[in-house]
Amino acid sequence: MHTSDSEDFESADEGHGSPEKKERKKRLSSSNYSDNALETAQQPQEPKSSSTSVKNVAKETDGWDDFDIDDNEPIAPPPSKANVPDKKLEVEQKQSNVKADQKSQDTGWDDFDDWGQDDATSTQKTEPPKPQAKPQPAQPDPNIKEVTDRLAAASTGGSGGWGWGWSVDSLLSTATAGISNITSQVSQGISTVLETGIGAPDPEELARSSLRANEAKAKAPAPINTAEDVTVQGGATEGPPGPGNAGDAAFPFGSLFSGVSKFVETTGTKVISGGLDTLETIGKKTMEVLQDGDPGLAKKRALLGLGAGDKPVLSQVLREAKAKADEDDRVREEKREAKEVHYENLFDDFEGLVHLEALEMLSKQVSMRIEERMRSVDADKRQDIKETLQQVAELCEMPEEEEDDHEAPSEGVSKADAFHERLQAATQDLGLKLQFQPLVKQYTDILAYISSTEDTAVRAIYKRAVSGLAHSTALSVQQYHKAAEMLLVKPRRSTADEADALTQMTVVLTKHISELATLFTEKLNALPSDNQEQVNTYITNIFLEAGNSSTYIQNAFQLALPILQIGAV
Amino acid sequence: MVDPIFDYQFRLILIGDSTVGKSSLLKYFTDGKFAELSDPTVGVDFFARIIEVQDGTRIKLQLWDTAGQERFRSITKSYYRNSVGALLVYDVCNRSSFEHIPLWMMEAKRHIEPHRPVFALVGCKIDLAGSDSKNGARRQVTLEEAQQFAEQNGLHQLETSAKTGFNVENAFLIVAQDVYNRIQSGEYKVEDGWDGIKTGFNRPNGMDFNLLEAETVQSTCC
Repeated sequence: MHTSDSEDFESADEGHGSPEKKERKKRLSSSNYSDNALETAQQPQEPKSSSTSVKNVAKETDGWDDFDIDDNEPIAPPPSKANVPDKKLEVEQKQSNVKADQKSQDTGWDDFDDWGQDDATSTQKTEPPKPQAKPQPAQPDPNIKEVTDRLAAASTGGSGGWGWGWSVDSLLSTATAGISNITSQVSQGISTVLETGIGAPDPEELARSSLRANEAKAKAPAPINTAEDVTVQGGATEGPPGPGNAGDAAFPFGSLFSGVSKFVETTGTKVISGGLDTLETIGKKTMEVLQDGDPGLAKKRALLGLGAGDKPVLSQVLREAKAKADEDDRVREEKREAKEVHYENLFDDFEGLVHLEALEMLSKQVSMRIEERMRSVDADKRQDIKETLQQVAELCEMPEEEEDDHEAPSEGVSKADAFHERLQAATQDLGLKLQFQPLVKQYTDILAYISSTEDTAVRAIYKRAVSGLAHSTALSVQQYHKAAEMLLVKPRRSTADEADALTQMTVVLTKHISELATLFTEKLNALPSDNQEQVNTYITNIFLEAGNSSTYIQNAFQLALPILQIGAV
Repeated sequence: MVDPIFDYQFRLILIGDSTVGKSSLLKYFTDGKFAELSDPTVGVDFFARIIEVQDGTRIKLQLWDTAGQERFRSITKSYYRNSVGALLVYDVCNRSSFEHIPLWMMEAKRHIEPHRPVFALVGCKIDLAGSDSKNGARRQVTLEEAQQFAEQNGLHQLETSAKTGFNVENAFLIVAQDVYNRIQSGEYKVEDGWDGIKTGFNRPNGMDFNLLEAETVQSTCC
């Protein structure tokens, strides 16, 4: 708590931009008071004996614990609520220890706290909080950080000059003091309703608890300033600054501030008690309306899904809902991520699957037509047809691994162009105008990617490899589908040539796939990596997906077989 | 691929005479672009886009853009079967394309059986139908007769322009919404061996939430 309190403090300081003050406040960094409050309260204390200040520090912790929480409660996310009751207990216990020190001081000081709060609240209203890009070491509590941020934001938006501008500012914020007090009490009251399971809480009880909370709030910080503070105030109003502060030009204004804050305090209390009465009325009325035709709120509680035995803890419900939403987001994100490198999904996204499916539809339909034809002829003719079908199927068998003689492209021809040429040469006898540009373009893109140094992350390269393979495969499958459609409407068929052409195209395409896989794995291997195991896994996967790609291509080729066959029978 | 997550995939098929503007309609719907010139479609081409229906359910529309040319007719009819929706497309400036609509519709009904798809009658090129059109094209199909035909046959009906984008989005949304409503009402369901409707990447735990809600409601009434 301490670290962040001082954090708080430093940020609040920023807006006023006086380096010496900043320095001074750093020394006093155990306090959470807003600037002016601090000036008056703490400065004269400095020359005092160290024993008191140590004592002081220790007490401050308690007092501020409470305050941070009170301050936080209305805005903190649901999870923090769990802490609140505990802390309050703590504070109450502490209070009894502290009372001895309190003496005449009593609530006079909580006022300053309000200043701190008010400043934050009032300025915040005019300007949305901006997170401060400030290094913030050791933050034990995210809630505190939130307050810090808000304060920081508030102070940046605050009055530019210190001195007079500041007091005007604080007068303005007086009004907000009452409001923010009421707000926090309202939310306290509401949380009381929600946290207790006694069905419909009594409005009186609600009001009482608010009062109690208010008292606790008022008392808690008092010990912070105990005896010395009397001196502080006295010293401040009486005039000449202590020797330790001779160089501090701003100090004389301290008296003014303390006067103003006194005023703020009394007004604030009036507003609070007045507000409480109103609140009580509102609360009673609300309960009446809520219970109208629903005694004991039984129906409404049932509607909220809160069983009689369970405590109707809305915060719990909200927490769970939040956790669930977070979980959903995470799962969704993971799915998206998984889909990004999921070969089958990518293949589907590139329309590979649907081309394959459409090709399969054609293939089945044509097979049925062939069977019909065979049924409709006599036995001899049927035997002829069977032989022809067999011959076409044999023509379409993939050749054994041959010499890679075409791997040496002619001079001055780019790899992509050479690929295009090979495809065109292979399909020359097909007698169709196939569009290979998308395949060639995709190859060009991959080549450019391989030679660039744009991506150096292993995973990024892996993703690109899987997507590149899926895309090339989808475009390849599309070629078979288009070829099949065009063959079916081709007026004059030359089955042997067509079969040979498609076989050669398959050879070119499967080689192309394995070349892509090699390019990507080489790029991965060339990278310096501290996780060679991961790289090896990726490389294995790339070759696995390349095998997958070849299978898709050969399946597409096999699906095209009946379309070749029907041309011959 | 903005967000690949979707709840359902619907397969819609576009049919109609050649050059009525099926591919342009799809191009505008998926790319937001209008191509002045385009090659005639060979067999079938595919487009896809994810949309949201009224309750926010994400639907991937898989769009089958069939060739209108007569010579591909024997091929394209093998593609009808797995469609859950069919857009009957005609050119408002081409009378015969409208007159062929009943034939296209019969063909689709016959091939999609036993499934009963959602039909929409979509008139294209209304940007050319104005009297001040430079191309000299004139509207040859009135809105009224299109509406009348749609009403008689229980079709959705609209007129679009892939050049201005007018009603393009609506043409697909209206069909998707109807298909989705029919899923909700139980008329359509996901079936094995039929690809008209497929489930996609569901939102996680969507079902759990519904179950919870249902239970709560039950406990209040009992």
